[in-house]
Amino acid sequence: MAGRRAAVKAIDWAAFAERVPPNQRAMFNALKTRNDALSARLAALPEKPPAIDWAHYKAAVAKAGMVDEFQKKFSALKVPEPVDTQTAKIDAQEKEAAKSTAEYVQASKARIAQYEQRLQTLRNMIPFEQMTFEDLHEAFPETTLDKEKYPFWPHRPIADL
Amino acid sequence: GLEACLMDTRLFNWKSQCLAPLPPLPEKGGEVRYGLIPEEFFQFLYPKTGVTGPYMLGTGLLLYLLSKEIYVVNHETVAAVCILSVIIYGVKKYGPAVAAFADKLNEEKVATALAVKNEAIKSLETAIEEEKKEQWRVEGCSYLFDAKRNNVAMSLETNYRERLLTVYNEVKKRLDYQVAMQNLKRQKEQDHMIQWVEKSVVQSITPQQQKESIAKCILDLKALSKSVQAAV
Repeated sequence: MAGRRAAVKAIDWAAFAERVPPNQRAMFNALKTRNDALSARLAALPEKPPAIDWAHYKAAVAKAGMVDEFQKKFSALKVPEPVDTQTAKIDAQEKEAAKSTAEYVQASKARIAQYEQRLQTLRNMIPFEQMTFEDLHEAFPETTLDKEKYPFWPHRPIADL
Repeated sequence: GLEACLMDTRLFNWKSQCLAPLPPLPEKGGEVRYGLIPEEFFQFLYPKTGVTGPYMLGTGLLLYLLSKEIYVVNHETVAAVCILSVIIYGVKKYGPAVAAFADKLNEEKVATALAVKNEAIKSLETAIEEEKKEQWRVEGCSYLFDAKRNNVAMSLETNYRERLLTVYNEVKKRLDYQVAMQNLKRQKEQDHMIQWVEKSVVQSITPQQQKESIAKCILDLKALSKSVQAAV
């Protein structure tokens, strides 16, 4: 009996809500409403049903043995607990999510490193007044003119002028 | 400062490999007097001949050229004087304005380049911020799974409790039904018996008995009325 109660963990909904990105708000709200509905239903039900007054029925019902039979069968009855099919799936999902988040964080860190590098080059750049075109192409690689692809001046498609 | 740069101009030409970083090119050219003669010449002659030295040299040279007719004054001289005077007047009057205009053009170019650079720096910084924020957001995914597990646990618990409650209700219903059935039966039996007794009693009242009972009633009433009259 005690093993069935999987502990309902207290969730800090405020902190959770902070971390939800705006494009996933709707899903978060759906989850929250479902959670609230379930907890409301749970709270409405008593933990144990009230005990049946066997003595009263024994005195009231005239048919011999009926109440005794009911009582015996009732106490012998074991209500089966509902089988938990979802927790395994959820755990699997969580593992996958952990993996993909780790990957994402890796990629994100790589991107940050890239950005930092570019930021450093930009910050350490010499002022424009002292630059030659070579220096400019060093600092801003996107300004280099592709002399192989467009061998004739102006070395870029006319539309881009 | 500036003179050091000027002294260095010679180095630019004969060093084949440039040492980085090169000093920036000087903003203005060398100082010049009368637009023709560099200042270094005056400085060169100053120790020996003082301030007026170069002027004396210049005047002497000019007079020598004119008097010996090494430079001949002819119509071209007049033309040169007119043209040069116009040119010098024009430059002196409009030079600064043109220079300012050209400088402004350059300034604009530099300003756009600077704007691009600042824009790039700012966007990179915001991008870094955003990435950090996204990483923080992603850390909250454990909340999601906790919530899901909670949902599952709660629904299981609810289901179990509902089942218990159903069992209880069903058993109680059946017992109550038995009790109610019994009560109903007894009541019906009672009613039926009462009715039957009444019917049999009514039937058993024969006409003879009725007459006798009515006569008795009249006698009783007479006696009662007598007692009432007496009381009044």
